[in-house]
Amino acid sequence: MTSRDVHDVLNIPSDHSGVGRPSKKQKSSAIRPNLKGLAREVQNLSGDNPIAIVPEVSFFKKRRLASRKPATKWELKPFTNSARGDDGALVLRHWRRKTEDGPPADVDSQPGENEAEGSSVTKVEKPEDSAFAKFNVHVQIPQYTDDQYHSNLQSSTWTKEETDYLLELAKDYDLRWAIIWDRYDFQPKGASGDFTDGSNALVPAGEPRTMEDLKARYYEISAKMMAVQTPVQYMNRSEFELFEMVQKFDPEQEKRRKQFALNTMARNKDEAREEESLLLEVKRIVARTERFNEERRELYNRLDYPATETDINSFKSSAGLQNLLQTLMTSDKAKKQRKQAMGPGDVASPSSAVPTSAVSETHANRRESIAASAVSNHHRADSDARTPATPAEPTPTSATAPAANKKKGAPQPERRKLTQQEEQIYGVSYHDRLGSGPTFRYEKINKLYSHKSGQQQLRITNVLSELGIPPRLVMPTAQVTAQFELLWTAVTSLVDLRKVNDRLDGEIKIEEAKKAERDKVRGVVVSPATPATNGTGDKEEGGAETNGEGGKDQQKTDQDKKRPGSSGGSSHKRSASVLSSVSDKSAKRQKK
Amino acid sequence: MSQQPLSSAIQPTDVYGGDEVSAIVLDPGYSYTRAGFAGEEMPKQVIPSFYGHVNGSDLFGDNVMTMEPRAGFEVRNYMNRDGVVEDWDAATKSWEYVLLKRLQPPRPTPINKNGLNVNDDGDVAMDEGANGESVDEFEKPLFDTPLLMTEAPWNSTKAREKSIEIAMENWGTPGFWLGRNPVLSSFAAGKATALVVDVGGALTSVTAVHDGMVLKRSIQKSPAGGAWLSSQIRSMWENSDPKVKVVPRFMVENKKPVEAGAPAEARLKTFDFPITDSYRAYEEERVVKEFKESVVEVWRGPGRFCVPGSEEYVRNQPGRVFEMPDGYNQMWREQRYRVSEGMWDSEAAYAPLSNDEARLTKAQTIPSIIKASLDGVDVDLRPALLGNVVVTGSTSLLNGFNDRLNVELAALFPGVKIRIHAAGLTSERRFGAWIGGSILASLGTFHQMWISKKEYEENGAGIVEKRCK
Repeated sequence: MTSRDVHDVLNIPSDHSGVGRPSKKQKSSAIRPNLKGLAREVQNLSGDNPIAIVPEVSFFKKRRLASRKPATKWELKPFTNSARGDDGALVLRHWRRKTEDGPPADVDSQPGENEAEGSSVTKVEKPEDSAFAKFNVHVQIPQYTDDQYHSNLQSSTWTKEETDYLLELAKDYDLRWAIIWDRYDFQPKGASGDFTDGSNALVPAGEPRTMEDLKARYYEISAKMMAVQTPVQYMNRSEFELFEMVQKFDPEQEKRRKQFALNTMARNKDEAREEESLLLEVKRIVARTERFNEERRELYNRLDYPATETDINSFKSSAGLQNLLQTLMTSDKAKKQRKQAMGPGDVASPSSAVPTSAVSETHANRRESIAASAVSNHHRADSDARTPATPAEPTPTSATAPAANKKKGAPQPERRKLTQQEEQIYGVSYHDRLGSGPTFRYEKINKLYSHKSGQQQLRITNVLSELGIPPRLVMPTAQVTAQFELLWTAVTSLVDLRKVNDRLDGEIKIEEAKKAERDKVRGVVVSPATPATNGTGDKEEGGAETNGEGGKDQQKTDQDKKRPGSSGGSSHKRSASVLSSVSDKSAKRQKK
Repeated sequence: MSQQPLSSAIQPTDVYGGDEVSAIVLDPGYSYTRAGFAGEEMPKQVIPSFYGHVNGSDLFGDNVMTMEPRAGFEVRNYMNRDGVVEDWDAATKSWEYVLLKRLQPPRPTPINKNGLNVNDDGDVAMDEGANGESVDEFEKPLFDTPLLMTEAPWNSTKAREKSIEIAMENWGTPGFWLGRNPVLSSFAAGKATALVVDVGGALTSVTAVHDGMVLKRSIQKSPAGGAWLSSQIRSMWENSDPKVKVVPRFMVENKKPVEAGAPAEARLKTFDFPITDSYRAYEEERVVKEFKESVVEVWRGPGRFCVPGSEEYVRNQPGRVFEMPDGYNQMWREQRYRVSEGMWDSEAAYAPLSNDEARLTKAQTIPSIIKASLDGVDVDLRPALLGNVVVTGSTSLLNGFNDRLNVELAALFPGVKIRIHAAGLTSERRFGAWIGGSILASLGTFHQMWISKKEYEENGAGIVEKRCK
């Protein structure tokens, strides 16, 4: 519905409607053919309505001074720097914003008035201090008086003048050791004093100090002066830490570290890469062993099931078994939450304790049979006796065993504490860890041998046979093996000592022979017998000494053993001396 | 958003701890003397350290050095090949020329001396009598500007004292400081700890700087610098198949274009007075310098230039043409690498033409002096120094110099990380020490370091040894 329709309806003759409409149409149709190419496409897109192209509002640069205030005034202001040592003699000038004569912080004062004032007022007050003066910091250098030096700081390698010089440099260069060492050039004063003509050719040039020398001396002084100023017990924490650190300086270690750094710098890329890969390898190996150990520990925890003294009668009925299953499941759940193996101190809840221990009885039996425990034997006999009577019994145990295995470490059940006496009677012993499977005690002894070289094994067996002890124990009870181990270690140490002694003897002889040669060369008239006899005397002395030691050792082991039937101390002494003299002979032979 | 111009109300110097006191920085070197105001990024005035001497008077500045030859015009230098001032009279005059004539506007003559008040005789006389002393004080040319001068790190005590004497007595500066070139160069690179390799006009020096201090035991210098390179080029020209004659530009009246390698066709000027040797040498040096700048390159490696293969390789690469002032021109290929190779490999160097030109020994090549320099430094510092190698000096602008230096250092110190810091801008490389001095003298914390006039008067010239360590 357009206005024309309204006009039609209302019969209002529109004055220019007849002209206007066609002309409009013509206009639009007239424009169209003129357009070509892209322009036509664009027009087609929009239809008859022209596309509005709104020009972007362009901003021009703002006026430089938004405020109409006149430009700020600056002035060339004099200033001094209080960090200088010359009491403000140097007055420099820099440009600063002009302020009123009041506080310099007041920057936003009216510049117009200022100008008039600033030009008329002449500066009479002291120029301001530089803002940078506060950055001037100094290091703390230990101070000492002459008396303090003489009482505390004397050194055989350092004169007081040189120490003073060192501290002076340390202060000048703010403890930058690289520079101190670089500039260190101490000329002893006495030299320049004595030779006034300036020639100090006669003065021996002192050995150049290394940086470690300088540091060591400085730290020594600072540690001592710290201790003098505040005795060690009165130092506060930070002071004491500093004191300790200063005291600990080790020039030798520092030298080694620098040597190491030098080597590291010299190594080329391939070497560095190789080292890196080796390090990686080591890390991997360590990680692997750790994981392995972890797994093994877990395994042990699983295997480690305690014994029990309660009987299993309560589980012999089906109702009892049901009950057992229930408690097992609950304890399993609880276990999962706790995960970690419980220590012996942890007490399991009494409700679960009884059945668990009952179930694991078979495992316990196995383990304790290894330990040849009388108690468990008794129990096993018990259970064995009962097994045929109740054929249902093995099934639940075998069924529950894997379930129990799943748990990570069972809690130690309550166990009757055995007294010392009982332990001895029953032969109960506690071990850190036992190897899997049965072992023989004499294997342990064999293991000891296997670490030694063949020759040493021979020597040890020789000694043992001299003592009348068979290399393989006839009755290896626990006590006997323990004592045998003690004896064995004593014998090995004896053999080792003897070896060292032999070697030293040999060296002494060689040195003496050398000395004799030298004497001969020098032409000093020495009877050839004298040095030789001296040597033998020495040697015998040494031999006797070892004998004594060996004998003592032997006696000690004897006392330790307190074993009836072992041969007397004197015979040991004899045997040891025989052995050592034999070895002396062998040494002689070697020398020849 | 358009950026607003910086308001004059903000003090820009607060940003970096600067505090400008309009100090002047003067950096005399073997080839050039630079001077300018602290806080600016380039020296305002750069004049040759060479000066002309004619009829008993000295002429300074680059404009006199490039003039047509004159009878009896000699060229001299106030510095010696070690970068140390040799002729103090000429040095003073030269510095005065650059500081007072070139750097500062001419001052108005004081009222009592300008001749306008001659009529009033009595008054003038009374004024002079009353405060002649203070007038004198303010007549000294640098009475209100502190002066920072640079020096070679091996400068002698006497020379240092002489320079503070001149600055204080002749120019009346309120504050003075002597900075060592390597320290300032490392400051210009923004580092307080650096190994500075300065390949300058007369010398190559390597110095370790730790916390803004020169390590004296690490100072190494060798003649392998610009002058040595020039002599290598002259040797090469002498030895090449058609001998290359050097005709300085001032002698050429006109020339015709010729084929490459063909003899030059140029008419030479004749002078009715003898040309001094020093002037001719200076002019020839300018030709050599142009050759250096446009043709010579450094073999980048890997390996040395003299290993078999690399020379053949270069022969097949496009070369560079150089035309002498008289029109002679030639393509240069492998020779342009060969001339600079002596810096790295003493066996590759050409034999010098005359005996007074020293041959570089093996210990004087650049890698050797760097190694020697580091050997004089504590082990703990070496990695830090090699991680901050600052290359400066205009001869280091040779194409490929940094690449080669990197290769050589990596071969010398395989286990250490090496970082070379060389300014990209030509001017920063040329004026490294000056720029460092400009930074230093405009720092707020530096103003406590100046040797003030009072301190100088109390302690004498010896104070410079105590303070400028």
